[in-house]
Amino acid sequence: MKSTWRSILALPALLLLAGGAGAQTPESTESSGLTEPPEAVAYCLMCHSDESMVLELEDGEEMSLFVDAETYMASSHGGDLFCTDCHEGYDDEHPVGATFPSRREYEIASYETCKKCHFDTYNRTLESVHYEYLAAGVDIVPVCTDCHGTHDIADPHQKQAMMSRSCAECHPDVFEVYSQSVHGRALAEDIADVPACADCHTAHSIEDPTTAGFHLASPELCIRCHGDEERMAPYGIPTEVASTYLADFHGVTASLADPSEVKERHLVVTCVECHGYHDIASPALMPPGAMKARVQEVCQSCHEGAASDFPAAWLSHFRPSLRHAPLVFLVELFYKIFIPFVVLGLILQVMLHLYRIAMSR
Amino acid sequence: MNHTLTPGKTEIQAETQSESRTAHRSSILETAKRGAARAKSAYVVRFSRWARVQHVAVIVLFTLLLLTGMPQKWPYVAASQWLIDALGGIFAVRWLHRACGVLFALLVGAHLATVIAGLLTRRTRPTLLFTRRDFADAIGSLRYYLGREPSPPKYGRYDYRQKFEYWGLIFGSLIMVVSGLILYFPLLTARLLPAELIPAAKVMHSNEALLAMLIILVWHLYGAHLNPEVFPFDASIFSGKISKDRLRHEHALEYEELFGTESEGKTESEKEKEEEKEGDRGVTPRT
Repeated sequence: MKSTWRSILALPALLLLAGGAGAQTPESTESSGLTEPPEAVAYCLMCHSDESMVLELEDGEEMSLFVDAETYMASSHGGDLFCTDCHEGYDDEHPVGATFPSRREYEIASYETCKKCHFDTYNRTLESVHYEYLAAGVDIVPVCTDCHGTHDIADPHQKQAMMSRSCAECHPDVFEVYSQSVHGRALAEDIADVPACADCHTAHSIEDPTTAGFHLASPELCIRCHGDEERMAPYGIPTEVASTYLADFHGVTASLADPSEVKERHLVVTCVECHGYHDIASPALMPPGAMKARVQEVCQSCHEGAASDFPAAWLSHFRPSLRHAPLVFLVELFYKIFIPFVVLGLILQVMLHLYRIAMSR
Repeated sequence: MNHTLTPGKTEIQAETQSESRTAHRSSILETAKRGAARAKSAYVVRFSRWARVQHVAVIVLFTLLLLTGMPQKWPYVAASQWLIDALGGIFAVRWLHRACGVLFALLVGAHLATVIAGLLTRRTRPTLLFTRRDFADAIGSLRYYLGREPSPPKYGRYDYRQKFEYWGLIFGSLIMVVSGLILYFPLLTARLLPAELIPAAKVMHSNEALLAMLIILVWHLYGAHLNPEVFPFDASIFSGKISKDRLRHEHALEYEELFGTESEGKTESEKEKEEEKEGDRGVTPRT
């Protein structure tokens, strides 16, 4: 009896998962193999293919009710989802006339239809800084359809297209700075290894990037790629940039500090302080001395009065060697030999002593 | 395995308390017991109060420094992160480490000051200095371990192992204090010296600490606890006392210097009688 109930309860969940999975598979358009809208859609299009069809909303704005069949068929959902799957309640005889005070209110009220299939993704948006504002009544923040579109929903995994039509729309200044960065310029050349907005900020659960927590965790974002040897190899970027930072005093602080404990006096240097974030430049391409001057500036932000040679305390991501930081290298080498020598010698002494005691008995 | 300075005077005491208590009893049995007890409990005060205090302070500070330092050496090990959380976070751990470091530096300073003052006023004898004899002892001891000698060499107040550990602690402490101060005051360091000293000091601080920890774990733990001759615990650095019996075995030359060589080559029971005599005679303190 109990198991019967359980399976009945599980049924809708399974259907939801199946529906979600189906809708999220990029191949779904091709699998349907249709170029003409299905019958149910064609029925709606009898009226909605009229380009001049508009609806006057309560605030006086005119909202077009035209749906381009070709756009719809070319979209990710084309042929798979029917009009009424999203536009619930708009059956044969649906009401005519303004039902929403404004276009924005209509958009916000109807975007939740996406969660019927994309429940996980929808849930993630609830954690985002955008939703925080939305819940507080700020309606200019993006909802699903603002980034993904409506009848023209496309594969969201195409970085460049996705970014320019979603993030750049509202954050043009940031986008402009990013486009000039080493990452932005590479992306413009179709190098997909570089991060676009969502690679660092995530696509849906977008966190407020101004918090101490985001700042302290930011090295993880950089290291995800810069610590990956395979990914860095084609560009000749050493992955030691990650390990040397993490081994440094500041890297340890960033990794272990509790964000709530970080106060002004505990300003923690992460990758971005020296390298920037949206404006990241390649240190190799910077004019000589520019990076060092920048590092000195960063040092001074905490170590008041740090002189121009103070940055030498930081080995610039180099592993100590006879060429770079010979003193550090030699100290390291000394202990590499001295510690085993002393400890093994002592262990030998102890063992000899025990041997003698055992023999004397 | 204890490394402390020779106190100004080495006092020889018998258990005077038990003596006076038992003096009122007259049974033969009690007298016999008293004799045996006195023979066993006859001891020499080996470490001054100041030496004992220093040893306890080193234990406390060394442990705290390791607990707060090692997790910083290996910050990405789960156990380190657990410990750091347990101690109140990385900022608290670093604060505690520096506070203990400052106290440790003060302790090292106080130790060196008392040694130098003691040597200058001739109240302390430099019994911890390495002499040519220590090298001969080390070889003699090795020969004994290998069965080439019937008995270990006779040691003075400190054997070569104790001297090794003492000087290891002194030099190790100086390295830790200096490199620790460089890390504590990077700006000042960079103003006076090349800034590359700062990462070099970090490597030095971290490796020297590891070495110190391993020496304590391997050498001191064996010498003071696991060594079958003292197992489970050599208490003399805490009580300040060492039994005359142990003194005769482990520091024969010092024993001879204090009591003469008459007890050599005698059996256990003869030695006990011998000790009783000494107790009766009342040995005068060495100056």
